[in-house]
Amino acid sequence: MIRQVIVVENRLGLHARAAAKLVHLTSRFVSDIFLAREGHAQAIDSKSILGVLKLGAAQGTRLVVSVEGPDESEAGEAIRRLFGEKFGEET
Amino acid sequence: MTATKEEIVFEGNGVSSGIAVGIALKLDSHHRVVLKTLVEDSAIEEEARRVLQAIEASKEQLHALKHRLEEKVGPEHGFIFDVHILMLQDKSLIVDILSIIRGQKANAEWAVRLATDRIREAYLSLEDEYFRERVSDIENVVERILLNLSGNQPFHWEPLPQDLIVVARDFNPSIFATMDLEKVRGLALERGGRTSHTAIISRGLRLPAVMEIKEFLASVSTGDTLLLNGDDGQLIVHPCAERINRLRVRLEESRRAGFEPDSAAEGILTAKDGVRIFLQANTELPHEVVAARKFGAEGIGLFRSEFLFFAHPQGFPSMSDQLETYKMLAREMAPHPVAVRTLDAGGDKSWAQPGSAPELNPSMGLRGIRMSLKAKDQFAAQVEAILRASVDGNMEIVLPMVSSVEEVVEAKAVIREVRAGIRLPDSRNPRAVPMGVMIEVPAAVLTVERLAEEADFLCVGTNDLIQYLLAVDRNNPQVAHLFQPLHPSVLQCLVRIAATAGRLGKPARLCGEMSSNPFFAVLFLGMGYDQLSMNPRAIPVIRRVVRSVAVRDARRLAEQAAGFATAREIAEFLVREITPLVPMDLKPFLHELVSGEIHTGALQTLGG
Repeated sequence: MIRQVIVVENRLGLHARAAAKLVHLTSRFVSDIFLAREGHAQAIDSKSILGVLKLGAAQGTRLVVSVEGPDESEAGEAIRRLFGEKFGEET
Repeated sequence: MTATKEEIVFEGNGVSSGIAVGIALKLDSHHRVVLKTLVEDSAIEEEARRVLQAIEASKEQLHALKHRLEEKVGPEHGFIFDVHILMLQDKSLIVDILSIIRGQKANAEWAVRLATDRIREAYLSLEDEYFRERVSDIENVVERILLNLSGNQPFHWEPLPQDLIVVARDFNPSIFATMDLEKVRGLALERGGRTSHTAIISRGLRLPAVMEIKEFLASVSTGDTLLLNGDDGQLIVHPCAERINRLRVRLEESRRAGFEPDSAAEGILTAKDGVRIFLQANTELPHEVVAARKFGAEGIGLFRSEFLFFAHPQGFPSMSDQLETYKMLAREMAPHPVAVRTLDAGGDKSWAQPGSAPELNPSMGLRGIRMSLKAKDQFAAQVEAILRASVDGNMEIVLPMVSSVEEVVEAKAVIREVRAGIRLPDSRNPRAVPMGVMIEVPAAVLTVERLAEEADFLCVGTNDLIQYLLAVDRNNPQVAHLFQPLHPSVLQCLVRIAATAGRLGKPARLCGEMSSNPFFAVLFLGMGYDQLSMNPRAIPVIRRVVRSVAVRDARRLAEQAAGFATAREIAEFLVREITPLVPMDLKPFLHELVSGEIHTGALQTLGG
């Protein structure tokens, strides 16, 4: 089980296009991947678009990402990269 | 349960009088109702399969749409479909829907709605406006699932209870094509207005209706008890028992008004001075022939065939599909005639033909005979069905939206050719059927003599004629008050049509819903119309009117009415002169005479 805090840095936040990318990416892994706003108990499935959008994560939101499963380290790395690259939107 | 709920009173615009108590039936913009029905244990897995199939179909449609959009405007715009497709794949949604179906033994439609309502609630509590507005994406997706669940079919009225009050944001008049009028007691809409086509039909049907009720839909669910008051423009949600009891007598009266079959229907109808008058039925649904007979119609003066097309899954019923309906109408009405108006698609009768480009100004676009002469194969198929049906009774063909004599000549050539090509079992051609021309465009009024020479009879469609003559869209609230049925120019046109037909010895039939109003009916008799076609339910009332008025008196009234300068003066004159002649309460008919609240108020004091 990997837990890490990731800050949403892209200007538009986890809006529809970014959320779709995150769902596409995390759906490729078998691990269970959950997201929650830091300080909030309620976690959502990162493979659910309805869940990800419901986070309402604008720029600057701190998210706790928990990954558990056989490919958890690859998944954790891929998620970090996607957020780090600002979802490929601001290059 | 209803007794414990607080009454909520909404004010709107009463556009069709009468009061009714009933159960709310809430329809969405596609005229679909979402009802919860209990599913048999053995059918639960079938419901689950149905919803999964609908979701799968929705996904395929979205993939295709995405592909088309990307080809057109580039790949960067396709992402919104990705979001929608991901929503359809979202396990949380699917699991929720399936657990509602299995847990509540509910139908698929209800489960989809309920699951969506839960998601919507969660989203509406979000702070960020952008994320809150994703609700519209979700609804978009859900609409598609529901559409696929329904198989694009209108819903079925059979399992619904009696005494329904239909509530909706708005709907176009095509709703009447599928509505079971034996069950519906009233309409309540957030939009619409006094002059909307839906309001006009409601009045013709004597169906109480209140429109322009601001934001009431959120407070009404299907199944709630409603009290609708079309006289005062009120809608009461969860009315208390005392209130309903107080209104018991009026409710019963309203229910009976104009709906009772008339024992006086027997025998030949003449005006007080012996002039023979024919009252016929305007119908749009095949089964309305029952009402036409019940209320004593001497024929179907206007069968609006577009609803036959509208209801057909492919949008165009084949010759033999149509033949079946026309044969039934011919047999049921024999020996009286059945006038089929050929397809009058376009205008405000929203009937989108697949693949046709949207028109900026459909009222002035490709509609009626214009479309028929462009799509001659379809026109010929309809003509063939009408001609073949004439073996079983008396059929008539009526051409809509005619604006020139060439159109009539060209249509006649098609009819002749079709007739020559039909061999009946006895190896003869079918006999010729009378052909009428709708006079509903000002150009047709001005050339009515030439048109009457080509036609066997004339039909007047008052709504379109008034719209084109006064250049007023009755659905546009900014100008709706200018839609004046008694505008002096309207009367001049109507007089001219009847006089020309009379001179040439051709029958003149008035088949606008106007003739279901006693004041207008007397005026039309006076102008020389001897065939009035209207909603079948209005016939008993108008029959009494015809019997109590002498045509020579009506003629004097019509001549005098032509001397006034304004619609209001004409209306006041008619109320003053006709009220003493007709032994019945004419108050419910006053508000149709002139538009505008002040005018109506003034008339009410006058008539009362």
